[in-house]
Amino acid sequence: MADEEEDVPFEEDAEDAGGGLDGGQGRRKRLFSKELRCMMYGFGDDQNPYTESVDILEDLVIEFITEMTHKAMSIGRQGRVQVEDIVFLIRKDPRKFARVKDLLTMNEELKRARKAFDEANYGS
Amino acid sequence: MADPARDALGAAAAVPEPPPAAASPPEAAAAETAGDGEVREAGGGSELKAEVADGEVRSAEGEAADAEEPGLQAGAARKVKLELKERKEKKQKVDEDEIQKMQILVSSFSEEQLNRYEMYRRSAFPKAAIKRLIQSITGTSVSQNVVIAMSGISKVFVGEVVEEALDVCEKWGELPPLQPKHMREAVRRLKARGQIPNSKYKKIIFH
Repeated sequence: MADEEEDVPFEEDAEDAGGGLDGGQGRRKRLFSKELRCMMYGFGDDQNPYTESVDILEDLVIEFITEMTHKAMSIGRQGRVQVEDIVFLIRKDPRKFARVKDLLTMNEELKRARKAFDEANYGS
Repeated sequence: MADPARDALGAAAAVPEPPPAAASPPEAAAAETAGDGEVREAGGGSELKAEVADGEVRSAEGEAADAEEPGLQAGAARKVKLELKERKEKKQKVDEDEIQKMQILVSSFSEEQLNRYEMYRRSAFPKAAIKRLIQSITGTSVSQNVVIAMSGISKVFVGEVVEEALDVCEKWGELPPLQPKHMREAVRRLKARGQIPNSKYKKIIFH
């Protein structure tokens, strides 16, 4: 089983490089192949993950984002996606909630730092 | 494996240390600009800001509260203020300890571990693609914060799936690289725990 799967990834890579002519289940072009590979390595997988695993993950991520977007559209202000809605949806999951809080805080600090830096430059 | 939720820095790029914030209350400014200040508890928000603004925010807060409440309430208000101060100081100290421990840990990594850690911190979803994807679903434009939040959550999601798949792989006595069967079993387990959103089936509450 492992031997079969080691040969197939090479063929799959050639197909993907050609632009995904016969995508099979992935009807659209692969959006996150490169980034997902780095991410999987970072989270503990092998340095060269299998292409099929990367494909499965990409489908999962797209489905996740789609679900979250649909849910966010149905709460708060209808038809729009706002940060408050995302934070509300995520409230039960401690990891994701903490991560979103951190990211948004960091973003604010960076914006403030950049603004202060620009004002300092303008003043002097 | 370091829990991504505990990371102080963002994963998008190497983040430079921000300079100390001005003494003017950053909490008010942040609440206006952040927009999700309504969601965060006031205590939680001020705790985060304290990391950046050192003692300046706390003394400004203290003076304001002192000036306002005379009489009996002053005693109780002062006690609450002291507790808040202590909690903020403790949280600051805990964060500093944590940062130090992380530095010691990272300095003792082997080269392979350093590579992996760098990939873990630096890998991120491209903001443009995520924005395009969300906009194609909503049909309207979305703000930058939404894209930032969504990419962040998606990365955590990938982490959860990969970690679960590695558990499955180890449990079945096999080695990485991860195979699709591990991924699918991981997804099945996460679904059972309710960590994968699925709004395709109507929940029947009273059967």
